[in-house]
Amino acid sequence: MVLTTAPKPAVSLSGVTKIFPVPFQRRSVVAVRDLNLEVAPGQIYGLLGPNGSGKSTTLKIILGLVTPTRGRSQIFGRTSDQVASRESVGFLPESPYFYKFLTGTETLRFYGKLCGLRGAALKNRIEEMLALVGLTKARDRRLGGYSKGMLQRIGLAQALIQEPALLVLDEPTAGVDPAGAREIRDLILELKTRGITVLLSSHLLGQVQEICDRVGILANGILVREGALGELLGVENQMQFVLENARPDLIEAIDDLAKKSGARVIERGRPQTSLEQLFLEATEAPDENAHE
Amino acid sequence: MNNLTHRVFSFRRLAAIVGNTLTGLTRLKIFYVLLLFALLLIGSSVFMAQMTFQQEFQVLKDIALGAMSIFTSLLAVIATARLLPQDVEDRTAYTVLAKPVSRFEYLTGKLLGVLLLLALSLTAMSALFLLVLMLREQSVLNETARQMRAAPAEQSAEALRLVRAAAFNVNLFAGIAVIYLKGCLLAALTLFISTFATSTIFTTIVMAFVYFIGHLQAIAREYWLQNHSAGWFTTTFLALVALLFPDLQLFNLTDDVVAGNAIPLTLLLKTIGLGLFYSSFYLALAWAVFFRKEL
Repeated sequence: MVLTTAPKPAVSLSGVTKIFPVPFQRRSVVAVRDLNLEVAPGQIYGLLGPNGSGKSTTLKIILGLVTPTRGRSQIFGRTSDQVASRESVGFLPESPYFYKFLTGTETLRFYGKLCGLRGAALKNRIEEMLALVGLTKARDRRLGGYSKGMLQRIGLAQALIQEPALLVLDEPTAGVDPAGAREIRDLILELKTRGITVLLSSHLLGQVQEICDRVGILANGILVREGALGELLGVENQMQFVLENARPDLIEAIDDLAKKSGARVIERGRPQTSLEQLFLEATEAPDENAHE
Repeated sequence: MNNLTHRVFSFRRLAAIVGNTLTGLTRLKIFYVLLLFALLLIGSSVFMAQMTFQQEFQVLKDIALGAMSIFTSLLAVIATARLLPQDVEDRTAYTVLAKPVSRFEYLTGKLLGVLLLLALSLTAMSALFLLVLMLREQSVLNETARQMRAAPAEQSAEALRLVRAAAFNVNLFAGIAVIYLKGCLLAALTLFISTFATSTIFTTIVMAFVYFIGHLQAIAREYWLQNHSAGWFTTTFLALVALLFPDLQLFNLTDDVVAGNAIPLTLLLKTIGLGLFYSSFYLALAWAVFFRKEL
């Protein structure tokens, strides 16, 4: 008999509750309540929710930065309180500053050393990461002189320095202009093709919808919706066609067919491009590093 | 994907944090301002006394060792107080602790970075001090030799020996070592306070109080014991106070060094032992608080 074992989930939270006591008061705040969640390897998972819904606390619990009051958090089968569980994780916090006194190269060298990299392997990895996030030209500038978008990109590079199997991103596009946000989005999609699992929190629904395989929606610390994006967003009894170069007689014929079969045409019109797409097309820079 | 096996404690990770802390501190302008001020004070001490050579060497040593002690203590507190609160405020602590780095490695690395900075700045100050002392000694030796030209050889040699004895003394190095230990202790205590403090200013103010209490507590203790019976309660209370507020007067061997008194080896070893104990104890306390701290 051959036993096959299912791959361990990249992230597994079971019954996680986090209660923060309020200093000098008898009351406490429940940041996350009885949260059960699994992220499969290779997925892009979006954790959504309004401000204060518990997204950042959940990510911190997964990373072992905050201890849950109840429940268990695991990364690839290792509990989050084990330092070793973070061997396979890269993390980019919301609006990170990093050490302003370091240059881009020094920053990556520091984080690489923390992950046990050294010598030629570290040097090559730094080159690779700088090229990946488009900061090769700004490598010797101190981070104090970086723009917000550049900080976000060096943050991504440090998160990826040890080739983690799981990337955790807290509001990765917060404060970044649309072009920068698009670059980060494309990078996340590229990472998925490399087999890296991505768990991100955001309240930019449009972006999440574009890239996530699965989403969870938090409200007041409770997971109110969870599932594959297609399942959650699809309207079960409706179907949509988008036709190109359709003549009026074809549209009329479709209308007639629908009427004959008892179906109702709810909406008809020209599909519109997104404001983001319009903005990007209008402001597209000829030089890829022009914004550095 | 990396296949590195995780070690509970790694000197390489520790060295990375130590190096990063030292780099950050040495790129701060305040560090150079403080160091320059201390060096100027030590350097200018040569002009401050024109008395007998014994008095001149005493004043020189007094000013130089005093400046080294104050600036090392000040640097220990200022450099350490900002490390943790700033890392948490800027969220850089998240990025470091989200890597396979234990909180013990993180704290120890920060502390060792400061201790390395103290060692470097104290070495610079000591080098200048010894250079100034050597130049003054040479000048006084030449002057003495000129004055004793007509005197018998034995008398002249004795006069030169007295000059040398008044200038250099092996106890100088013991005094400098104890100044460094005091800096280590203050840095470790500052690190402990910063693990639960909410800001750099709070930590610095608390440390200012601790510094004064630390220097005055020996007098207060003697006064208390003279007027009260030393029962178990008093003894326990005083021991607790001594643990929380280190008796910094024990790390003040400058007076003996300046006076040229010999520092017994047992006293030196006891002081070194005490400094190491206090520093390790405060680091352990800092770790105990920081281990469960919600970031």
